[in-house]
Amino acid sequence: MLSIKNLKAEIEGKKILNGLNLEVKAGEVHAIMGPNGAGKSTLSAVLAGRADYEVTEGTVDFDGKDLLELSPEDRAREGVFLAFQYPIEIPGVSNANFLKTAINEKRKYQGLEPMEATDFLKMMREKMELVEMDKSLTSRSLNEGFSGGEKKRNEIFQMAMLEPKLGILDETDSGLDIDALRLVSEGVNKLRNKERSFIVITHYQRLLDYIVPDFVHVLYKGRIVKSGDASLAKELEEKGYDWIKQEVEANS
Amino acid sequence: MFRISLFEFRIYREIMLVENIKAEFNLYKNQAEKSDFFLKREEAFAEFEKVGFPTTKNEEWKYTNLKNITNQSFQSTCESTIETELMLSHAFLKDLTANKLVFVNGSFRPELSTIIETDESIVISTLAKAKTAHSELFNKHFGKYAPIEGQGLNAMNTALLSDGAFIYVPNNKTITNPVIIVNIADSTDVNVLCQPRNLIIVEKSASLTLVETFYAVGNNPSFTNVVNEVYANENAHIEHYKIQNQEGESYHNNFTQIFQEANTNINHVTLTLSGTLVRNNLHFFMNGQNCNSLLYGLYMPHGTELVDNHTRVDHAFPNCHSDELYKGIMMDKSVAVFNGKIMVHLDAQKTNAYQRNQNILLSNEATVNTKPQLEIFADDVKCTHGATIGQLDEEPMFYLRSRGIPADVARKMLLNAFADDIAERIKIPELVELLEQEIEKKI
Ligand SMILES: Nc1ncnc2c1ncn2[C@@H]1O[C@H](COP(=O)(O)OP(=O)(O)O)[C@@H](O)[C@H]1O
Ligand SMILES: [Mg+2]
Repeated sequence: MLSIKNLKAEIEGKKILNGLNLEVKAGEVHAIMGPNGAGKSTLSAVLAGRADYEVTEGTVDFDGKDLLELSPEDRAREGVFLAFQYPIEIPGVSNANFLKTAINEKRKYQGLEPMEATDFLKMMREKMELVEMDKSLTSRSLNEGFSGGEKKRNEIFQMAMLEPKLGILDETDSGLDIDALRLVSEGVNKLRNKERSFIVITHYQRLLDYIVPDFVHVLYKGRIVKSGDASLAKELEEKGYDWIKQEVEANS
Repeated sequence: MFRISLFEFRIYREIMLVENIKAEFNLYKNQAEKSDFFLKREEAFAEFEKVGFPTTKNEEWKYTNLKNITNQSFQSTCESTIETELMLSHAFLKDLTANKLVFVNGSFRPELSTIIETDESIVISTLAKAKTAHSELFNKHFGKYAPIEGQGLNAMNTALLSDGAFIYVPNNKTITNPVIIVNIADSTDVNVLCQPRNLIIVEKSASLTLVETFYAVGNNPSFTNVVNEVYANENAHIEHYKIQNQEGESYHNNFTQIFQEANTNINHVTLTLSGTLVRNNLHFFMNGQNCNSLLYGLYMPHGTELVDNHTRVDHAFPNCHSDELYKGIMMDKSVAVFNGKIMVHLDAQKTNAYQRNQNILLSNEATVNTKPQLEIFADDVKCTHGATIGQLDEEPMFYLRSRGIPADVARKMLLNAFADDIAERIKIPELVELLEQEIEKKI
């Protein structure tokens, strides 16, 4: 589904991704871990199409399409969804109106008619339950005045509504208490299926107790330096990142 | 040698409108009966002759050059054409249940107007009629609030005003439906000068919703020079909306003086949708305690249009509140000027005064000149002001696009959101809807 080859990216002349390779097949969950500043958010931003980052080398193939050639909106409509590490507030744009627009734009892209209002409301209700989102939040402005946890839940709610092929979760666990963490994880688990893949970016192993990944990768200095199964996350939890850093330094 | 030098030619051009005005006043003078009203006008004319039109040398007019107006010839006329009727057939709020006073080229058009108010003690009429029918009220209030001294354009309006609305709401009364003053400048046949003059009196504990709309039709230039005097007696409540949508070569100057007695509540929203040059002078004077003055504005000029909002709020008594927010969406090579003056007088303790001006530039060639001015002579006050000028933010844009919303749709959503702060100050749902449509159309 997603094939990243030798991806190099920089911002303001600063090299951040330094030849990153990653293969994600349909239905797989890949966790990406790594110390702060390793380039995890950069990877997610490059995949979503944020313009500030310049891709200097490498390719990203998404279901046979050259992802890097697509505009951010086309990536989304092809099925890429990024749950932001820091979802922003957009006063004056209501949550519900925003989602309706997003869904109907995707349908238009797919050559479908806009969704019936009643179907849309029904879908909203169902997906809101998934993350136990308060109903009052949908009529409010997008993320405005939401607590940290509410913002993260809203990201997962949006993901549930948009039904992407690939969900990228950038530190969705950060700032969540244990109950919110469980809720969000359960929401994600319910969205897992044979076709849908996830890249779960996290700094801590904790999240991976709930969302059990098929693969775990360690991102360090803009490259994947180690890959393994779920047990790698446990090892990192126990030993920290220093041994990885040392390994990398020793090999270079 | 027979040759007019360029210099002489320019001088000649610049006095064009002044000469029109003088000729017109002389014509009027010869026929007018020598009443108090006449004397007032004669006095105003003398002031106009003395000060003339403001030039860019005047600090208050630094960015707004009237030469394209004063260089041309304009005439007052009560003629109108079929264009006017066409315009009325798709005028804003046409289907709203309201009292409508229609003025074409400054003249009242009873056949196009409708008054649905049934309370006989409420007056929704014209200035020309009120002068005799309500002479006491007229004499008590007319010319008492809008200053003439040093104000050439106000003086010109007073000297040569055509007609306008006269609205009187007695104590404890409410006009159930809004009053809409529709102003049309019809320049199909000639360069037209319209000088509406409205006098609005809202007595103790009375309330009024007032909408002024402005249109222009015809291919010749038009110049609309409005003066509004609004008097709010104690406890009065006024919702006042202005919609300026004059297309074609149309110039507009508006002076609105709102005089507030104690405990009054005024919400004023100015929507400037179109106009070659629009200058709004909106002045509030709080003449008692516990006044609330709300000033909101939205402008979205395109092409080479210029919109200039000069506001002034005089906090003359303690414990009053004013809030001001003007927002601009700037397109093409348009120019906006914002100058908001808040005067907190010596005795006006416990004043709360807030002022903001925010602008989004959708083009690199648009210009905004913004100047908030606070003059505070009391010491126990809360006043803030601020101005921003910038592009549409990248971050929200990316957020929306990352959810599959195309850039142009996302842009519209964000501009609507930007305008929403103003839209939510409008208490007529039909007007909010209309504003949304206009934003959709303009952007
Ligand atoms: N806009 C930016 N300008 C300059 N440097 C940046 C910018 N964004 C990120 N960086 C730098 O890129 C590196 C990687 O950042 P990031 O991808 O956010 O890391 P992570 O998500 O793994 O913590 C960091 O050193 C960070 O300081
Ligand atoms: Mg990060």
